[in-house]
Amino acid sequence: MRNLPESWIHRIAAELRRPVRLDEEFDRGVMDAVRAMPRHRQRPWTRMLRARTITVSPVVSGIAAALLLAVALSAGHFISAVRANRATGRIDVATDRSGGTKPGPRRSVQFVLVAPTARKVQLVGDFNDWDGSHQEYHAQHRGGGVWSVTAAIPEGHHRYSFVVDDSLWVADPSAPRVLDDDYGVPNSAIVVGGGDATQ
Amino acid sequence: MSRAIRVSVALVSLSCLGQLVAWRAAFGQRGADVRLARLDSTTRIVVAAVVDSARKTRLPTEPLVDKALEGAQKGADGSRIVTAVRGLYAELRSARAALGTGAAAEEINAGANALHGGMPMRTLSQLRSVSQHAGRARVTLPLTVYTDLIARAVPPAVASDVVLSLARAGLRDGDYAMFQRNVRLDIENGADAATAAQTRARGAALRNVGR
Repeated sequence: MRNLPESWIHRIAAELRRPVRLDEEFDRGVMDAVRAMPRHRQRPWTRMLRARTITVSPVVSGIAAALLLAVALSAGHFISAVRANRATGRIDVATDRSGGTKPGPRRSVQFVLVAPTARKVQLVGDFNDWDGSHQEYHAQHRGGGVWSVTAAIPEGHHRYSFVVDDSLWVADPSAPRVLDDDYGVPNSAIVVGGGDATQ
Repeated sequence: MSRAIRVSVALVSLSCLGQLVAWRAAFGQRGADVRLARLDSTTRIVVAAVVDSARKTRLPTEPLVDKALEGAQKGADGSRIVTAVRGLYAELRSARAALGTGAAAEEINAGANALHGGMPMRTLSQLRSVSQHAGRARVTLPLTVYTDLIARAVPPAVASDVVLSLARAGLRDGDYAMFQRNVRLDIENGADAATAAQTRARGAALRNVGR
């Protein structure tokens, strides 16, 4: 090609650029031959698996990403919530430190404190979330400085104390003290009932 | 992409985000115990985190909340409450490690109390195996008896031996209750706490052997 003169190259190029016209019979013959060939049927998944180019605008792709993120986070939360639900469900039913709203068999227990100068005595403990504001935990003055309260306490081992005049914490002198110095104020211990599962 | 498809995609996205926010709100409320509102905000966050850790590791959460509430009612400062709650969390973990993963929440709680009262972890594990061998499914009651003995000034080593001997003898619930009552009466009548516990334990074991 390098030895050909320039004019020849131009003539060859012009000849190649010239449109080729085939007669209509030829076109029809080719198309008939194509139609006569057995059809290649595409299966549904073949079409889905076939690689293709999709054009998506930045806005749509952003929305799609947000959608995927939301679905993933929701699924994560759902799984963790179900797991936590299972865990707490197993624990809460069996727990023995019960307050007023907790399940379990209860027994009436009388608590007595001698406090001649007291104006108010409340019973607090792990059975009422250490909150003696409920009326059923208010001790009644029986005269002679004797205060008593009878409360329904869940079976099990409990820690409790008396609160005198809303400020002074007093352990029950008639009950053993708990070796629990976390807060520097002593508690008393009581075992209500003796229920335990045996085989 | 047609306008209708874009609008529907946007609506679905918004509904998913709304659902996510609703989930977070619902489970956030459920996760944080409302009773912890009695604590100041900093303490509440730390205690809630410890409680959450316990929940995730399937430890009992109620004793932790109870410990925090006790501190709040007693007017303890936040750092003291956090220290107490963390200490209890560590004891709950140790108790479960000693009792095994199949231990019930009440057993883990009682085990934590026993560890706090000076029972060695080895004794706790021994108590579990001895009790199972003697046909007792749960060790809650023996552990409660141990805590009661400690509260009555019985030394931890003596109380551990006593509870192990009672478990080996296969005492029933009623026998444990009678043992506790007898020890209490002996101490109230002036007996030495350790001697009362050891003597009553020997008697209870002998009585059970004869059955």
